[in-house]
Amino acid sequence: MRYSAFWLACAAGLALLVTAPVSAQERSAVKQGFKLAAKTNKTILLFRPSVSVGEQSMGGLFEPNAAWTEQAKANIQAALDRFQARLGNAVVVAPEAYGDEARNLEEHMALFAAVSRSVIEYQFFVGNRLPTKKRDNKADMFDWSLGEGVAALPGARNADYGLFIYNKDAYGSTGRKVLQVFAMLGGVAVTSGEHLGYAGLVDLRTGDLLWLNADAEMGGDVREKDGSEKRVRQLLEDFPGSDIGKTDAP
Amino acid sequence: MMLRRSGFALAIATLSLLALSTMARAHKLRVQGAAVTVAGSSVTVTPSRDWNSLGKKIGKNTETWTLDGEQLNDVTFFAGIAPGNPLVKERSKKHAPLPKFTRTTLLVEVPELLEGTHRTYKNSGAFKLLSTQAATFLGRDGVFFTYEFTDEDQLTRRGEAHAAIIDGKLFMMTFEAPRLGYFARSENDFRALVTSARLR
Repeated sequence: MRYSAFWLACAAGLALLVTAPVSAQERSAVKQGFKLAAKTNKTILLFRPSVSVGEQSMGGLFEPNAAWTEQAKANIQAALDRFQARLGNAVVVAPEAYGDEARNLEEHMALFAAVSRSVIEYQFFVGNRLPTKKRDNKADMFDWSLGEGVAALPGARNADYGLFIYNKDAYGSTGRKVLQVFAMLGGVAVTSGEHLGYAGLVDLRTGDLLWLNADAEMGGDVREKDGSEKRVRQLLEDFPGSDIGKTDAP
Repeated sequence: MMLRRSGFALAIATLSLLALSTMARAHKLRVQGAAVTVAGSSVTVTPSRDWNSLGKKIGKNTETWTLDGEQLNDVTFFAGIAPGNPLVKERSKKHAPLPKFTRTTLLVEVPELLEGTHRTYKNSGAFKLLSTQAATFLGRDGVFFTYEFTDEDQLTRRGEAHAAIIDGKLFMMTFEAPRLGYFARSENDFRALVTSARLR
């Protein structure tokens, strides 16, 4: 009995040591040399946020829920309307896109999400950085891009920067939660639910990512109004030139 | 006694998992101009620029290189897939079986093998073969094909592959990247890798 307790303690201690870098993970970054003060003559183009909400099946698959997604879209848009005036600079909402333009915008949003995931995995998670990027990171470089194709997005000609916002929320199904409990009893860590939230400011001439706030464990239940407000505040905290996150209660 | 054993076993299992997860994160630098073997095989390549070899493997005879993460640029070496095996590791033989490379697989069937693998392994909803042509790879008769696919993340990626069947085993190099900018940006670096590939 004493021996098993000893081994379990050793395992738990090592688990803490190995997982420590995860908790030390960074969540936001700014491109070297980029500064955006409040009340400049720069214009920020706000693209309609990408929002998808669903359940995480027992096997971990995402199962979209149309009603939750529609509710979350409305909640997040309402929260954005409130926070928009506090971004510090002129914000214009991107014009509605149709046909090929809409598909192009959707693909750029998907690219933004893929770039954000790469930043989280290979830059924000310091212990997992790619060798070719380690040298850059020593010099505090943040060099990621969506490419010059962003210049052709609807509304881009009349703005300086584009603000991309992406949310994907998968709430653990009952089966997933049960699996989590049984896995825990077996000493295996199984997560229930996934809450991805990325906000990024992009140079609309070059496509370079100037600022990114990205996390795979966002707070706020986007199906609720209060939760969406919390989510949007969390996404936009420390946005260059804004006071969001600096004066708000946690 | 029983509890002691189970505690011990649990501890060992946890330690093993931790050790494996730590090892899996060790990415390696592949330096410009330095010849290196890939996927523990007899294939060598000499990169024309620095690349990262990812610590995680998608299959027994594979190795993945990237510049910005495999979601943005993914070079995968399939170095000697033996008959009876899938290209990548099967997640579930029962629920998500993968197509296998077999003794009777022909070069012209390799694109279909990759497509079937993508549809199951990556949950690709759309996979479109754009072109196929005979080409030399590793100094042998082979096939070169290009394709486009969209994964669960709704991002359309372009891909190209060079493959040959040598002594009954499949050798292939693929490059996949988002068609928005990323594919064109590193296409030539990938082709330089293909040209440098040698079988010892």
